Amino acid sequence: MEGNIEALTGALSLVGYGLGAIGPGIGVGIVAGNAITAMARQPEMQGTIRTTMFLGIALTEALALIGFVLFFIASAG
Amino acid sequence: MILAAESCDVVNEVICAPANVTELFEFPTIFTVGGLEFSRSSVLMLFAAFVVLALFYFGLRQQRLVPTKFGVAIEGAIGFVRDGIGRDVIGPEGARYTPYLLAMFSFLLVGNLFEVTPLINFPVTSRMAIPAFLSLTTYLIFMFLGFARNNFRYLIDTVWPKAVPVGLRWLVGLIELFSIFLLRPLTLAVRLFANMVAGHLMLSLLLGSGVVFLAAVPEIGLKGSIGLFWFALGLFMFLLELVVSVLQAYIFTLLTAVYIESSIHFEH
Repeated sequence: MEGNIEALTGALSLVGYGLGAIGPGIGVGIVAGNAITAMARQPEMQGTIRTTMFLGIALTEALALIGFVLFFIASAG
Repeated sequence: MILAAESCDVVNEVICAPANVTELFEFPTIFTVGGLEFSRSSVLMLFAAFVVLALFYFGLRQQRLVPTKFGVAIEGAIGFVRDGIGRDVIGPEGARYTPYLLAMFSFLLVGNLFEVTPLINFPVTSRMAIPAFLSLTTYLIFMFLGFARNNFRYLIDTVWPKAVPVGLRWLVGLIELFSIFLLRPLTLAVRLFANMVAGHLMLSLLLGSGVVFLAAVPEIGLKGSIGLFWFALGLFMFLLELVVSVLQAYIFTLLTAVYIESSIHFEH
């Protein structure tokens, strides 16, 4: 295994995906947490807040998912 | 993958490496009709369209004063897309786009739910062609609307936004140009695709390893009972994927509506 770079490529893309998932993880947490706060303050706005929350989560999550797809591209290539 | 893992020697090899991850998603041609090759995924795609047509046909065949339970469910789904997505996001003009949104939502919902349907167990939307094509149609629609409603102000105001201080306009314009014209269709397709691929991989790995371990109990003894744990985790993921399937169909439709809205009401 010593000096075998080939064996590392799959593991490296895995590490890259892990790094790429940090930011979106924090972001989704902030979005969902703030949505819960908003729902607790104004329960009558629940429908609008939930729609906006899913929108925010979807946009934030995109980065992690691009990392996930790149992981496969890098592993296959 | 499961077939490949069964042929490997569970006693001596600790990890049975599957041949390739693509064999979970790429299927050989089943039959050929006039030069068109049909694999399992294209058959499932047609089946999804057929299921959607059948649901709407049988749900709305007879307009009754008091609809049947099934009819109520179908009407509820239509109302949800028309009011919850079309009208709430796009505004009063949203009713015009309901057919497109509804067709997209119902096809994606059925296609995604194939992931957790017994005997099918394969989400058609995990083949990039389907999300990519749907995202392309959305892209064409909101591009056309943007240029039709705002002429070339759509492009000019994107690159040179008046609402931003002069010094920063080039930067904001660059980001906006990149995000609207390139990232929007790309992320729309990749989001659905990646969610479905991840779900299908996770389900196959957990349930597959559960089956492999449990089948190996006579050979490797009680160590094989770890398969119970994987199987239980797989069943839990099954429920989670049910939620993800519905949510991703909803998010794809919602984002389509948001993009259409941003092209119609471009001024603010």
